[in-house]
Amino acid sequence: MVRYVLRRLPSAIVVLLIASVVIFFILRLAPGDPAASLAGPDASEATIQAIRHKLGLDEPLVTQYVIWLRGIVTGNPGDSYILHAPIAQLVGESLLNTVELALGALVLALLGGSLIGYLLGVVRARWAQTLLSGLTSLGIAVPTYVSGVLLILVFGVTWRVLPPGGIGPGFSDFALGWQYLLMPAIVLSLPTGATIARFLASSMRQTLDQDFIQTGIAKGLRRRRLMLGHVVPNSLPPVLTILGIQIGQLLGGAIIVETIFAWPGVGQLLLQAVTGRDYLLTQDLLLIAVLVFIVVQLVTDIIDAALDPRIRLERA
Amino acid sequence: MTIRTSPEELALQSATATPSGAGGASIAPSPSRGSRAGRSGLLRGLRTPSALIGLSLVVVIYAAGLLAPLIAPYAPNAQGPDAFLAPSAAHWFGTDEYGRDLFSRVLFGIRQDLIVSVVAVPIGAIVGTVLGTLSTISKWLESVIQRIFDVSLAFTSLVMGVTIAAIIGPGLPAVLITVSLINVPLFGRLAHNVVRGLRSRDYVTAARIVGAPPMRVLFRHILPNALDSLIVQAALSLSLAVFIEGAMSFVGIGIRPPDPSLGSLLRNSINFLSRAPMYAIAPMVVVTALVLAFNMIGDGLNKGLLRR
Repeated sequence: MVRYVLRRLPSAIVVLLIASVVIFFILRLAPGDPAASLAGPDASEATIQAIRHKLGLDEPLVTQYVIWLRGIVTGNPGDSYILHAPIAQLVGESLLNTVELALGALVLALLGGSLIGYLLGVVRARWAQTLLSGLTSLGIAVPTYVSGVLLILVFGVTWRVLPPGGIGPGFSDFALGWQYLLMPAIVLSLPTGATIARFLASSMRQTLDQDFIQTGIAKGLRRRRLMLGHVVPNSLPPVLTILGIQIGQLLGGAIIVETIFAWPGVGQLLLQAVTGRDYLLTQDLLLIAVLVFIVVQLVTDIIDAALDPRIRLERA
Repeated sequence: MTIRTSPEELALQSATATPSGAGGASIAPSPSRGSRAGRSGLLRGLRTPSALIGLSLVVVIYAAGLLAPLIAPYAPNAQGPDAFLAPSAAHWFGTDEYGRDLFSRVLFGIRQDLIVSVVAVPIGAIVGTVLGTLSTISKWLESVIQRIFDVSLAFTSLVMGVTIAAIIGPGLPAVLITVSLINVPLFGRLAHNVVRGLRSRDYVTAARIVGAPPMRVLFRHILPNALDSLIVQAALSLSLAVFIEGAMSFVGIGIRPPDPSLGSLLRNSINFLSRAPMYAIAPMVVVTALVLAFNMIGDGLNKGLLRR
């Protein structure tokens, strides 16, 4: 197991390093001079130079890259040009909000996805199959920006039962906070939940064809015991894998959902950074996004390997 | 649908199933079929009910977009005296905050997706397929190219969009580049797996033994058989492309105002949901229909081409 982890780790680190180089150097190719735009239109050349020096933009690119990486690793990535606040603090606050949203979405996706997936896997009636698989198709296909606006239109504007946006008091007053969390979390959970449902259902169908299930039936196991004790546990590995990939992609979905519901998370911060041409903040957030994806992927692979010796020993 | 336990296959599959993008249908190579049978499989796939519905939706919507200059009753950016008119015979979907005709704006908005579909997806598909095929030639090329795919997959759909918008600024070019780049590893991984699978098949070995040059083996014997999987991926990629265009325009890094796109129309409509619900509903219906339609075509093709 340790050997498997050691084998997977270098390639993850290589990918992360390449990604950081890409993020850093390609962003520097972008037109526009952050020092000039920060100084304002009337600033003298000397002022711009001074700002450039203060931001370290007059150093060679490679030096800047090293300083940037060192800043991130030591937890001191500097200040945002446009928001005039320490990046660590900005990212920390918004990351907390995004994690709240993502956790809410994940809980809903797991509950809804496993329920529908389980039903889809065991129900035989044709109409129920059509209905349930139609639901999962819709969940996967309907873009989050459509389902989000639709929910606001119905529950926020027409019936006025839920707040149409904002974050509310959050976890500090959860009795009120959950009302703000509910719609964004549902929207973010739909594609993930539908994907979980599909994978669980088809994995269960495959498991049901296995010989040990026949044995279970033959020795007279009760249906519930057979399903929950034998079929479901043996159907989980592919679901875990897809779940890992989905979690790695939640940030991309969060950018959209946070925009719809004015949720002050990292997605919103990233958009602010990009439209305000704040390189430093943009770089840091992009690196975080890529890092999250790679780490989740790695953890998923390791869990897979722990569950399945065939993966662990492959090409060892 | 089939389930795979190999993580790489799963990554490939779910890479198409990005948040609310295309997905679901699994892609498995069906290497034993010849190109002629493959073509009848294409027809068989397109004749499935889901593909037929999907195809008609796409044809109707894209024809409306293509013919927008002829059909649209008003110029898309022409402002009128009356804001937020309710739907009527003169303005089928009503008007927006500047008195612009929403029906015309939706029609012209479809054209952005049309451009992305016919430009960005083919570019990404061709580059990805070429890279994926190249990566089967030598171990060295394989590790370099697969690393490139790994890195680009780490920029998941909209994160890629934000990165490109940060470099070249928001706009249609950013959308086109994003959609192309997202598709490169999707087609690349797929082409790599399918071609590698085909290379070890008996008829390919036979062709090589009778002395067919490597390029002829590749173009006559391998790629035609790999086409089935690539076609199914193309349908799913088109669905993803429409999703990405809408998403980028929605969050403000895609098509810029005043030009209409389905995503930016939807974004603007949020502020006026109670006054003008049609403002939101029209682009919602069209963009969902397009994404769903391409998925349905993908499902149908998947049945016709890849399942036996």
